[in-house]
Amino acid sequence: MKKFLELLRGIIDELTDQRAYKCHLAAHGAAHSAKEWRRFSDELYQAKSTRARCC
Amino acid sequence: MLRILMRLLWALIAVAAAFAMATIARSRGEPVNSMWLVIAAVCTYLIGYRFYAGFLAARVMALDDQRATPAERLRDGHDYEPTNKWIVFGHHFAAIAGPGPLVGPTLAAQFGYLPGALWIIVGAVVAGAVQDFVVLFCSLRRDGKSLGQMAREEIGKTGGFAALITVLLIMVILLAVVALVIVNALKSSPWGTFTIVATMPIAIFMGLYLRYWRPGKVLECSAVGFVLIMASIFGGQAVSESATWAPWFTFSAIAIATGLVIYGFMASALPVWLLLAPRGYLSTFVKLGVVLLLGLGVLTVHPTLQLPPLTRFIDGTGPIFAGKIFPFCFITIACGAISGFHALISSGTTPKLLAKETNARAVGYGSMLLESFVALMALIAAASLQPGVFFAVNSPAGIVGSTADAAVAKITSWGFPVTAPEMQQLAADVGEKTLFYRTGGAPSLALGMAHIFSFVGGSRGLIAFWYHFAIMFEVLFILTVLDAGTRVGRFMLQDLFAMKKTSSTPGMLATSGLVVAAWGYFLFQGVRDPLGGINSLWPLFGIANQLLATIALCVATTILIKMHGAKYLWVTLIPLAWLVTVTFTAGWQKIFSPLPDLGFLAQADKLAADPQTSATATLIFNSRLDAAVCGVFLVLVTVILIDSIRVWSGILAGTRDARSTETPFIQSELA
Repeated sequence: MKKFLELLRGIIDELTDQRAYKCHLAAHGAAHSAKEWRRFSDELYQAKSTRARCC
Repeated sequence: MLRILMRLLWALIAVAAAFAMATIARSRGEPVNSMWLVIAAVCTYLIGYRFYAGFLAARVMALDDQRATPAERLRDGHDYEPTNKWIVFGHHFAAIAGPGPLVGPTLAAQFGYLPGALWIIVGAVVAGAVQDFVVLFCSLRRDGKSLGQMAREEIGKTGGFAALITVLLIMVILLAVVALVIVNALKSSPWGTFTIVATMPIAIFMGLYLRYWRPGKVLECSAVGFVLIMASIFGGQAVSESATWAPWFTFSAIAIATGLVIYGFMASALPVWLLLAPRGYLSTFVKLGVVLLLGLGVLTVHPTLQLPPLTRFIDGTGPIFAGKIFPFCFITIACGAISGFHALISSGTTPKLLAKETNARAVGYGSMLLESFVALMALIAAASLQPGVFFAVNSPAGIVGSTADAAVAKITSWGFPVTAPEMQQLAADVGEKTLFYRTGGAPSLALGMAHIFSFVGGSRGLIAFWYHFAIMFEVLFILTVLDAGTRVGRFMLQDLFAMKKTSSTPGMLATSGLVVAAWGYFLFQGVRDPLGGINSLWPLFGIANQLLATIALCVATTILIKMHGAKYLWVTLIPLAWLVTVTFTAGWQKIFSPLPDLGFLAQADKLAADPQTSATATLIFNSRLDAAVCGVFLVLVTVILIDSIRVWSGILAGTRDARSTETPFIQSELA
């Protein structure tokens, strides 16, 4: 049950880009702030929007 | 002991699959419960995954967890990152699952439920999942290289260039055809139009919320967005019942097409955070919720299939699209069985995230099986409608006549009884003025889903809500493909024109305009087409998509030959041979068939012989343009095939370099 909840949490974090954001904060040694989120989201969405999505 | 029990279990699964298939195959005339299809599919998937994918992983690919993956070796916390297997599975599935597996099977139901169901189940296990898995493996062993890069390196420059052109062409046709599905779902529907128009300010509100008011609170923001979207569905009902407001949201097909073109341009040019990103989050949650709901609904309600296993339209005279069961069933259902587009995902982000090589089996093979299951759910939803209703919704006026009485008389004469009052009542039940001529698959799928959901919900009175909920889901889903696709097309054009600064305003506006103009042209062509547009555009899209699968399988075959010689050639060669046969036959018939409903050139000749109107010259040009596009696809297939066969025969004869382009083995520290 605990494992399942962890997986569910992991999926939600993934869907909401929280995991990627945590990686971004760790990579830049930064703490969460509005400015940092905007920097992260600009990079992320720019990369996402250049990837093909299937039909 | 455990081993014997496992063997018994697998024998039981095999017997269940065979029994379910036999029950479906032996039914003649009497209705079949959809549960048999579900059992046949799930048991076949389990056997395919356990044995065939296991064989591919162990013998053909020799997946090795001791070998470091690109995610481990090139880890940068950005593109390359070792990630949990199920999270990569989710990413991969979200990227491969578009509206295709929902719309294609619905359209192919005109042949009856059996051909589509068999193709979805068998095609996915022996072709689609194999392609996705093998391409993922090839990219995994080559630092996560793209299909185009692998085609260039393995086959030659021609193959790489052909892959790029094919992807661009597919993108244009795909965006046009999915936009046409939206147009046909929303035309003259104030309820549906209001709901979808309302999603724009909701998405912008979410964008501002995330950027300025509550940065980073994606889940909270998506929940707010979801509540607002639900409210907009109820708002749509109020609008459709208001004599003042309903005309404001009642648009013709041309007006909706114009709106979509403007939307596509703005979505490509506006900052991503403002519209695309929040809509993407919303769409992801709605998509997951609806797919789960549909799966649960089918399992709970397990509706009886009302459509016959085979209809008279297997002879090629179908009203939804022209063409015989072979090859058109296999062109119409692409994404649910095999889709070339998946190869772009398998050689895109996914190989850069896999922590272990063996994870490729669940991600590559497993997610395609899940997509196939989604396609089967869509087929069941469509096939659970009364056949007369199904054909009344999906047949264009050009085929069945432009009045309700003419349409029901024609459809009844085919052996699928339906009456005008019955259709009128159904339209009233779901809050629409009419359900005739709603081609494209989305409305009939929404009807089927609404029937299933309202059974699960316990109240038939909610059918109007569920219908518009399903329409909202389909359109929202398609809009994310439309805006993301336009943007991707823009970047591809900028890449093709070697534009270095992708964000420079004139270049961005020009390339966005070019992409939108290209798919917009085909969209308007579809809207004006007297046969409903889907008849010409969906087969073109199917042919293009399968052509891309041909390229992917050529690359995969080349790599397998370099690895094992001719030993495992059949793994990719059998699906490749099938696809080439299907693509060539369909392409040839679409260009040269003497039947005007089927062949583009015959259609142009017929139009030229008919009395001329102001629109005739455009229609003739459009038919010839479609023939030319189809011809380009066929030439591309031929070029790639000849190039590949030349490479294969050289390697097998020992006159060509067979050295592997795999990256050298490096010991994994994650194993």
